[in-house]
Amino acid sequence: MTDLGLSHPLWLLAWPLTLALLRYPGRKGAPYPAMAWLPVDPLSRKIDRLRRWLAWAFLSCLILALAGPYLKEQKVARLGTGAHIVLTIDRSSSMNEDFSGYLSGNAKDSKSAAARKLLLRFVEQRRQDLFAMVAFSTAPVHILPLTQDRVAVRAAVEAIDRRGRGVTNIAPGLLMALEEFRDRPVTGARVILLVSDGGTHIDQDTQERIRQRFRDVGARLYWIYLRNPRSISVLHPPKRNLSETTTPEYFLHRYFQTLGVPYRVFEADDPESLAAAIDTVDRLENRPLRYFETIPRRDLSAYLYGLGLILGLPLLLWNALEIRQWFAPKR
Amino acid sequence: MKRFGWRFWSCLVALGLLAATLFQPRIVLPRPAHRYLVVIDITQSMNARDYHVPGWPGDRLGFTKASVERALLALPCGSEAALAVFAHKNAYLLLAPLEVCEHGAALRSALRAIDWRSAWAGDSHIAYGLFDALKMAATLDAVLVFLTDGHQVPAAIKDPVFRGKPGRAGGFLVGVGGPAPVPIPRLDLEGRATGFWRKTDLPHPIHSPRFRRQAERDRSGLLLSHRDENRLRRLADLTGLHYHPLNHPESLADRLRQAPAAKKRPVAVDLRPWFGFTALVLAFAALV
Repeated sequence: MTDLGLSHPLWLLAWPLTLALLRYPGRKGAPYPAMAWLPVDPLSRKIDRLRRWLAWAFLSCLILALAGPYLKEQKVARLGTGAHIVLTIDRSSSMNEDFSGYLSGNAKDSKSAAARKLLLRFVEQRRQDLFAMVAFSTAPVHILPLTQDRVAVRAAVEAIDRRGRGVTNIAPGLLMALEEFRDRPVTGARVILLVSDGGTHIDQDTQERIRQRFRDVGARLYWIYLRNPRSISVLHPPKRNLSETTTPEYFLHRYFQTLGVPYRVFEADDPESLAAAIDTVDRLENRPLRYFETIPRRDLSAYLYGLGLILGLPLLLWNALEIRQWFAPKR
Repeated sequence: MKRFGWRFWSCLVALGLLAATLFQPRIVLPRPAHRYLVVIDITQSMNARDYHVPGWPGDRLGFTKASVERALLALPCGSEAALAVFAHKNAYLLLAPLEVCEHGAALRSALRAIDWRSAWAGDSHIAYGLFDALKMAATLDAVLVFLTDGHQVPAAIKDPVFRGKPGRAGGFLVGVGGPAPVPIPRLDLEGRATGFWRKTDLPHPIHSPRFRRQAERDRSGLLLSHRDENRLRRLADLTGLHYHPLNHPESLADRLRQAPAAKKRPVAVDLRPWFGFTALVLAFAALV
């Protein structure tokens, strides 16, 4: 019972008015000269009593509906078939730089604006999935735990094209994203969707730790690499001049290949890459997954209005049957 | 002689209105609705524990988050809230404005996920952060709610020039913490306390006439932090924000709920109560 609430409890003050029904007949009296002469009719008495109680219930129903009863928000078990996707997004200052891939059209857009467009499309097309969001620059920020609330995910994605700060520090971001899967039963494909312009070095210890965590939680890694025209393509690297300082993204790619979990890189300047990324997630095998979701409070007044309608119909019938005048008026 | 009397017709209209409520009648009207940008200070002084309200967290950040959660729950449906955090000199937007009823669960889980470890720098330049947050609020068309204890590190930095219209912003500057100075716990990355911050942990002040204020300070002992009312009131006066000391969560919720909404926004208004009320009046007339 504690799960129920009223949004406008003051309406209940109108409830005593319904007691008037038990006092007043609710129909026009038919003047008849000698009522006492008529025998007592128990059936009519019963029908009248029934009608009054029905009317009382009808009005009570309306008043209660007006008071706005609702079921407080609660956790419900849901069954879904989507993947669990943690959007892991780079919000470092390098993301403010121009990006001249296909998405922007003009080179004025920053990489983060491109990432925003791309992710909005991705989220739009994956309706079944659960999303979480982690952003990182110098320190990782846990923005949104796993949820199916698409509007909330959109709101989180829309926030990313603000000016980025700090350096690209991928490792803590990845660790935080992996943390999202810890202590949860594996019920769907786990995907970490890294959106970054790369360019970072991860030290040996952290590399080992990330590798271990990836294997523990069994997550896949998809990297949407936002390349600006001057940096190299990790899929088609140049033959020469590869070093950790000038082309760290290539070495990051090489490291991701050694994770031992399914990994793919998508270069965002390639028009097909987003479609490919969505396709890849589509093909993942998902078991039906049970999860708990907090649903917002639910309005119950609709049921009471419906009940009121049902209770009111016989009363209408009663009214229609009413004989309003005993004798036909004289013409 | 008419076949049916007025009682019948009013009863019929009442039932018709009830039947109409089943189709969820709505009308989109411009209604005053709040849109807040909530900016929470996540620098380390917010880890200080100086709240003693039974049943509520003792640390400033936890208390702040719980208070904001309470305040968001109290806002009328149709209101929107955006979330941001503050450290160093900037506000960092986490969530774009989101409706508080339908998406309340996600909004609150995002609020609970706010952590001091996300701070991208240890310094906190309150005035810089506040002015940045005001700019962000303007771009989001939202009213700013900036929650901070006002503890500035390093203490003697020159405040920036406020470039907005002084005394015009509107919104809230919420002072977090207690009036008495308390030590700031020093936590490791797992959140375990490893002691308290000491003054010697701060970078050494530069001895020059320009930075005399800091050089004169006592340079030993614990680094203490209290709600810096002087700074906060001064900033509130300068920008035109309303200063609100956060002593109890309910007071913030009341303040945010009762603030006049700055703008009218199209909100879908449920017509069912109007239908229901008319039906009630008609039915009452018909049945009594």
